[in-house]
Amino acid sequence: MSAHGHDEPVVRPEQVNIADSSMWKKIPMIAGAIGIIALAGAFGLKGEHDEGFYFSYLTSTMFWLALSLGGLFFVLVQHAARAGWSIVVRRIAENMALTLPMMGLLILPVVFLGAHDLFHWTHAEAVASDPMLTWKEPYLNETSFRIRAVVYIVVWSLFGIFYWHKSTSQDSATGKSILDNSHKMRWAAPLGIAVFALSLTFSAFDWLMSLDPHWFSTIFGAYYFSGAVVSTHAFIALIVILLHRSGYLRGVVTKEHFHDLGKMMFGFTVFWAYMAFSQYMLIWYATIPEETEWFSYRGAGDYLALSIVLVFARFVFPFLGLISRHIKRNPKTLAFWAVWILVAEFIDMFWLIDPVGPHNAGNHHPAIEFGLVDILCFVGIGGLWLAVMTWGLSRKALVPVNDPRLAESVHFENF
Amino acid sequence: MSHYIPPTHETDPDPLQGRSALIKGDPSFAEITEAVARPIEMPHKRWILFFLPALALLSLLPISLGWLFWEGIGVWGNNVPIGWGWPIINFVFWVGIGHAGTLISAVLFLFRQKWRTSINRGAEAMTIFAVICALIFPGVHVGRVWAAYWLGPVPNQMEMWVNFRSPLLWDVFAVSTYFTVSSLFWYVGLIPDLATMRDRSKTTIRRMAYGFLAMGWRGSHRHWVNYESAYLLLAAMATPLVLSVHSIVSFDFAVSNLPGWHTTIFPPYFVAGAIFSGFGMVLTLMIPLRVWFKLEHIITIKHLENMAKIILLTGSIVGYAYSLEFFIAWYSGNEYEAFLFQNRAFGPYAWGYWIMMSCNVITPQFIWFKKVRTNPKALFVLSIFVNIGMWFERFVIVVSSLHHDFLPSSWDYFSPTIWDVTLFLGSFGLFFTLFLLFLRYLPLIAIAEVKSVMPRANPHFVDPDKKPASRDHHASHGEVSAKSEPEPEPEPEPEPEPEPEASKDEPEAKEEAEPEPEPEPEASKDEPEAKEDAKDASESDDTPEAEASSEDHAEDADADEDADEDEKEEEAEKLLFSPPPSDKTDAKKDGKDNG
Amino acid sequence: MGKRPKSFGLLAEYETPGDLYHACEQVRDAGYAAWDAYTPFPVHGLEKAMGLRASLVPWIVCVMGFTGAALGFLMQYWMAAVDYPLIIAAKPLNSYPAFVPITFEPGILFGAFGAVFGMLGLNKLPQLYHSLFNSKNFARVTDDRFFIAIEARDPRYHTEDTTKFLEETGALSVEEVED
Repeated sequence: MSAHGHDEPVVRPEQVNIADSSMWKKIPMIAGAIGIIALAGAFGLKGEHDEGFYFSYLTSTMFWLALSLGGLFFVLVQHAARAGWSIVVRRIAENMALTLPMMGLLILPVVFLGAHDLFHWTHAEAVASDPMLTWKEPYLNETSFRIRAVVYIVVWSLFGIFYWHKSTSQDSATGKSILDNSHKMRWAAPLGIAVFALSLTFSAFDWLMSLDPHWFSTIFGAYYFSGAVVSTHAFIALIVILLHRSGYLRGVVTKEHFHDLGKMMFGFTVFWAYMAFSQYMLIWYATIPEETEWFSYRGAGDYLALSIVLVFARFVFPFLGLISRHIKRNPKTLAFWAVWILVAEFIDMFWLIDPVGPHNAGNHHPAIEFGLVDILCFVGIGGLWLAVMTWGLSRKALVPVNDPRLAESVHFENF
Repeated sequence: MSHYIPPTHETDPDPLQGRSALIKGDPSFAEITEAVARPIEMPHKRWILFFLPALALLSLLPISLGWLFWEGIGVWGNNVPIGWGWPIINFVFWVGIGHAGTLISAVLFLFRQKWRTSINRGAEAMTIFAVICALIFPGVHVGRVWAAYWLGPVPNQMEMWVNFRSPLLWDVFAVSTYFTVSSLFWYVGLIPDLATMRDRSKTTIRRMAYGFLAMGWRGSHRHWVNYESAYLLLAAMATPLVLSVHSIVSFDFAVSNLPGWHTTIFPPYFVAGAIFSGFGMVLTLMIPLRVWFKLEHIITIKHLENMAKIILLTGSIVGYAYSLEFFIAWYSGNEYEAFLFQNRAFGPYAWGYWIMMSCNVITPQFIWFKKVRTNPKALFVLSIFVNIGMWFERFVIVVSSLHHDFLPSSWDYFSPTIWDVTLFLGSFGLFFTLFLLFLRYLPLIAIAEVKSVMPRANPHFVDPDKKPASRDHHASHGEVSAKSEPEPEPEPEPEPEPEPEASKDEPEAKEEAEPEPEPEPEASKDEPEAKEDAKDASESDDTPEAEASSEDHAEDADADEDADEDEKEEEAEKLLFSPPPSDKTDAKKDGKDNG
Repeated sequence: MGKRPKSFGLLAEYETPGDLYHACEQVRDAGYAAWDAYTPFPVHGLEKAMGLRASLVPWIVCVMGFTGAALGFLMQYWMAAVDYPLIIAAKPLNSYPAFVPITFEPGILFGAFGAVFGMLGLNKLPQLYHSLFNSKNFARVTDDRFFIAIEARDPRYHTEDTTKFLEETGALSVEEVED
């Protein structure tokens, strides 16, 4: 803790600025290139009549979007609650939220090109012959669906860019404008949370819940949200651990912060279980056909096994694994669970989307379909996502160096 | 910040720069003990003035229960479609109120929200008494109270067990566990303060009584280590417990097939509502108490403001849930569901629905205004509305779903009888009686905890009135302490001389105090405005309070405050402005000034 | 010389948490074993200055909690599916989703018992009498004073030397407490 000498700043530049020679500077290029190639490959493999393609595409999009939205949520909450501990990891979340405009673009194919493959309710003849879909038409119609999508994207992008911009410009600000930036970020946070809550809920309804247009669940937005938040904390922890290995942020993000991130991973893992259980148990118990159907085909064929895997991967194992404080404070074990949680998030998205895919239409023994296209979509979207994220990461300081309370965060300790 | 400079009114920092003091006026430890213990030792004359009416109200309880047992539950207004009338409404109402105590204690503790220390004891007591009130209703609404033990897992005369698939049975386990754990949590927190009361006792009876309850607590640090660990774990377990209890209460409704009851958002929505009503009740109780007990420097405007923000947050979550219910009722395409919601808003119980909406969703929105949330009188009025609104929420849920069920021939309107009303009033009598007894004999504030969040509790605190140099000889221990560094939040920093760091830390100078952060998990959870509450810009303020010792002055104080605030901000800019590493000199000067 | 059988040990009084903290470091470094610090509230980080080990309470809670949860589930399973099997509401005999609440609640209940009674047991409380209560000054330990007591049973204890040592740590006063 020699950093506390009298004249030393709270953080030294070499701790928080990526060196030009570092691998991190090259990642945006490399990841971006891989992403474009993989995505091109995925579209290339799609061919003319692959109705399943957009299911794969949507799975990966929703996975990466969860991290972007989770990053935005993290930033908003930390400002709104005036949290001290999290300031040193906030910049990472800001960079995650910076990917929102790009994720908005990547969602557009789903909304404009793939909607027919994905969403049964977009077929006029289906709507006409199904009284339930006719009833829902004022909400579930392509025009309003597209308008809503654009609204979500614009709102998220504005918030993502606003926070990234305000925070990074604070780094070089002087005098009064330092505080001004903080005040503005803080002022916008409660508002942002309100907007975020509504947009996330309805985007989850639009893009995930309406895949099965008969099914409905009021908790569904909170379900997607809970998974997004747990993965976000996992991802932040993972990035910090990787940066530590490259020699950055040492002594800035400490065990204490890992401990807190680990607590959040643990807490939100339980929170996800709470959401998932509330949804499942109430529907299971009431046995109303139009609700149970959604679970019944997730309990048939291959998906029974996948559902069980989900429960264990997403709740049981991480719950047991993250109880101990030693595990949360040790970067190696924490990294293991962080990766685990991210994998579980992907399984969750797959579990939400794949059973509705065309390969299962009318199939009494629904089967999991996972192939090259899924992998290419994941790598493609992930590559682009990482490119934007690491671009922000390597261009600006890794922590908000001018945040007035940075010292509090660096020196933060758990009890 | 290890060189702590005690906050004073003038130097309360800008909220984005540092943390202001939780406790006003920088009192000594002994003064805290005195402020809290004094009212118990020399009770306020007004106490009896409140106690007698509470007793009178309480007397309604045995009367209404006696008549109920004699006559049967026909004395209530419950009728055929509305088999669940006031008793269930009141049960859910009281259990909901009973959540803020444990929430304040446990959840805020886990999130290192130190401001909780001023209010947790009273809130926990409120929890326990509210749960006792709640337990009356399921206890008696079975009608044949002498068979109430069948609620437990005992076989009946046919050797058949209770139905574990029934949410009503889950309730029995959940509420009784909650009651037990809350009581343990409260008692554990009380132990050190009971020892304080014992050691201050002037009479043998008091010494024996408090001494017995304190179990020989002597402040041993070896004990504190186990104690703190146990307390942390209790908090960690009580948090999911709070959630589970009200979720299970919501299951009572939500597992059914009844429109308006069966919806998956119910568990988190009930939890948010419970917290909302609980904080409402805490405000209702604490706002007058801080004045009567002269505890305004311990329960400051800041505390009230933070609670108000939680009310805004949870009120908004509740609003989110109301809207989603409506949306999905339509979206589901289920005509019964759609009818029900239409009927709720525009049917015979529309008045109840709109009372609920205006009290629970609209009223809290006033908290966005700083003028409102820093004005105790306004908050008090607001909290009353919250209590009313939450009672009506349960009324709307129970009655509107039941009164028009699937069989139109049995549709009916529900009206309570006088016995419904007296029983409910009687439960208020019980609540206030217990709470007043608590005020009379036990410390309202967690003395030890408040002390532990004061700046001077930090072993690395440097008293500005003393020469720091006096401790130079400890420099050699610097290493050790750097590692161990205690301290509430922040940082290490062993050496005692203040000036160097001052610059960087200046902002935080006031570290200590306050609300810390962090998101609350669940809350955040979903949504809504979640942290909005989180303070908006303003914040710091910490209010003036110091001078305003009585409610009468409070208004003036508020006015002053605004003025102060502006001034403060300017000053903050001037004084605290030295941004982190840059100009040290100014900062140094400030540091000295403060010292 | 030194130990008189009647003596519990020496009690040193300090004014501030900081004084106590530094004194504890010195007592720890001097190698005393049977000693303790006494404070009105938990002083942050003092366990490190005293060289104490982490509490055992978490282990007790963990074991108790999982035991409670297991018992809760087994109770329901046995009663609903084994001892008097009965189909209710078309639910299977082993309706595990419906058994979750009463699995969870006893888990928490037992865990809480583990925390409270584990803490009391490890602290050997209740113990209504203690030698330190013989000291008049010690009454302030629950108010605003901080103490260190080095007990006579400590092998390094020596009345005069230890008194002198304690005085040098910055104590306001040092007194001998009767057993």
